[in-house]
Amino acid sequence: MKFALIGNPTVGKSLIFNQLTGLGVEVSNYPGTTVELQRGNTCFQREMVEIVDLPGIYSLEGDSEEEFLVRRYLDQQETDVVIVVANATRLERNLYLLLQVAEYGLPMVVVLNMVDEAAKLGLEIDPGPLRDRLGAEVILTAASLGKNIDQIIPAALAATRPSQVEIPYDDHIEAAIRSLEKVFGTDRRASIQALQGFGDNPDLLDAARTIAEEIESRRRMTAAQIIATNRHNYARELAGLTIREEAPPPRTDLDSILTRAIPGIPILIGILVGMLLIVFVVGSFLEDLIVELFEIFVLQPFIAIGLPPLVETLGTALILALQAGLGIAFPFVFLFYIAISILEDSGYMTRAAFLADNAMHLVGMHGGAVIPLTLAFGCNVPAIMSVRLLRSRRERIIASFLVTMVPCSARTVIIAGIVASFVGIGAAFSVYAIVFVLIILTGLVLSRVAPGEQFGMIMEMVALRRPDPKLVAKKAWARLSEFLFIAMPLLLAGSVVLGLLEFFGVMALFEGMVEPYTMALLGLPGYSATALVFGVLRKEMAFETLAILAGTADLGSVLTSLQLYIFSVVTVLFIPCLATITVLLREVGSRITIAITIYTISLGLFIGGLIYRLLA
Amino acid sequence: MLSSTFEDYLEAVLMITENGENSATPQEVAAATGAKEADVGATIASLVEEGYLEQAPDGTLQLTEKGKAVAAKVARKHRVLQCFLTEVLGVEESAASQEACALEHGISDETIDRLSSYMDGGACPPPGRRARCRWGRDAHTLLDCKEGDTVRVAAIQRPRRNRRLLDLGILPGEVVQIRRKLPNFSVVVRVKGCDIGISPEIAASIIVESCPPAVAG
Repeated sequence: MKFALIGNPTVGKSLIFNQLTGLGVEVSNYPGTTVELQRGNTCFQREMVEIVDLPGIYSLEGDSEEEFLVRRYLDQQETDVVIVVANATRLERNLYLLLQVAEYGLPMVVVLNMVDEAAKLGLEIDPGPLRDRLGAEVILTAASLGKNIDQIIPAALAATRPSQVEIPYDDHIEAAIRSLEKVFGTDRRASIQALQGFGDNPDLLDAARTIAEEIESRRRMTAAQIIATNRHNYARELAGLTIREEAPPPRTDLDSILTRAIPGIPILIGILVGMLLIVFVVGSFLEDLIVELFEIFVLQPFIAIGLPPLVETLGTALILALQAGLGIAFPFVFLFYIAISILEDSGYMTRAAFLADNAMHLVGMHGGAVIPLTLAFGCNVPAIMSVRLLRSRRERIIASFLVTMVPCSARTVIIAGIVASFVGIGAAFSVYAIVFVLIILTGLVLSRVAPGEQFGMIMEMVALRRPDPKLVAKKAWARLSEFLFIAMPLLLAGSVVLGLLEFFGVMALFEGMVEPYTMALLGLPGYSATALVFGVLRKEMAFETLAILAGTADLGSVLTSLQLYIFSVVTVLFIPCLATITVLLREVGSRITIAITIYTISLGLFIGGLIYRLLA
Repeated sequence: MLSSTFEDYLEAVLMITENGENSATPQEVAAATGAKEADVGATIASLVEEGYLEQAPDGTLQLTEKGKAVAAKVARKHRVLQCFLTEVLGVEESAASQEACALEHGISDETIDRLSSYMDGGACPPPGRRARCRWGRDAHTLLDCKEGDTVRVAAIQRPRRNRRLLDLGILPGEVVQIRRKLPNFSVVVRVKGCDIGISPEIAASIIVESCPPAVAG
């Protein structure tokens, strides 16, 4: 059996999916988390059930990528039962999508989620009318408490009858449906979609277009507007039957401070700076602790054993890599992921998007671009994926450029681990300042030269929620485990290779060759070039490799402050990591990817060289 | 009292400059009024002389405050008349526009006010009927509203471009509340219990009419 979860963004679909399948799907409180289909299996009474989590959408008849994907999924009838998840606190709006799905006539189960929040708002829910009108089982759940989630699979297995709904459309639309049905034999649902320009049959679309134009000239509303109005009205009626509103208890409206220019914008800046500060301060503390422990309990005893030189070189390289990975990357990366997960789950991101809308217009995008840009602080890879929530290719190209320039947590490792630790916290912030200025300049230029048109923002301000510590930790852990199990092995293997190369004198040869150039251009020793090259694999590897090559994690003892500063700036700006390049290729194509790569390499070298000339 | 030609010109400049935000060229004015370019030059010169228009050295035109006041008044008359002709009398739209053009210069301010309130009072265009005139613009958009206002959506320009507005329930006839309006004109509206953040350029394409508080509920 195959079930598909479908619903508006942020109705708790991913959370329900998680609870049904136990898979580590990311849950976020902003529109557009699930861009690719998430699949998971579960066993119920010895029957294998596959569950697909479709991306959150507002309509089946929209023009966004997600809407197209879900529409195609339903058209191909790949699923046995659709499970529609709706937010009980915003039922009327959620019913709009539910009605569209019901028109498909697939067996359906309706999940009214967040009944706990609805109760707090004084809403009383009666699932009866929905059940009768749609011919589908209706389950009231509270996914954040795990309430009634266990009823979903049994209900879906029992659902065999197709859903039924007859939305009363405007006379003109009904007439159009009848004539399309007569000529092409299409069903009601396909006719409705054809009138709005969706479908595969060119003849049908052609006829539907003619009729739609006729309707528009008579009613002075587009067919899509009339259809949407009819559906919304029906949804309003259904919602009225389902929900009884008691006097809601008075509640504080956080938005009265969060979305005002003052104090909203200072709060936004405060949150971003505070996030960086906490990561720096707490991260450095943990870093000192872990590095120290490694030094005393692992590295020194290991050297004291006195193994043969080859083994000792390799062993030391491995230990240094572990020390750098666990001691430095781990605290910063983990803290960052926690901070970003909290921001995501609280729903604050949409407020940030709203506040930044105007500023984003200056750099050729709209407020929604704040989401990929903030995500990019964690990791550029998911950030590039979320660039899809911008509607035009122009905006996506600009966002891709800017996202790859945002210092991700790996680059924070470099800034915090090298600059904050050995140069000073002020210098660390100055690296951010340099990067931000460059991002803004790049955006200003790109907004002038990038071709294509610009769409504005239409974004739902999702309900603010207190993030659940368990969910935040789980999400941060899921992201961190990617680091531990993909990056760390890479790091360890890389350091063994490096150790070998060094032992046999290959490194010395390479470094001797590049040293004149790096010294002349950036004032950096030859081995830093090796570190930069490794930084392409993973950004934080630049730092770890530097530590290994320098033979100590105490970089301040081998390089001057200026050298460390320049090395950090170049690494931070230099070329996106391999993983980022891979998603860039998929999202924006090879030409833009190559342009971004060349741009960032030259920018890094140029700015690094400039700082060297100015400060040396 | 200005001649009807002068009023037509000012109205045309108002529309071309999008309520005085941009500037217009004499060619655009000629195209909008359908006059010959030679005549246009002379008329513009006298309008500049009388202080209704300002002409920049590069030839582009802008309304002065005085010119804007006249133009806005004429544009309103045109709108009300066209609305009356199409919605109440059922005259075909293009014909109504032409006739409104002729009538707008002779009708008194008081008659227009009465006509307008007569239409608001009962024969008001049903929601969704675009109370548009030949320039395709209406004075009230979401951007003209204040924070806390409750208004009814009358029409949405370029409906095909912003499909998501439809899906979120922002469509003609819907009552929405302006929850927030930033100094930079980004707005948050509450519709169907959900708050939707909207960019200024999209808010400017949503035409609204005020609605009595009783309906707003």
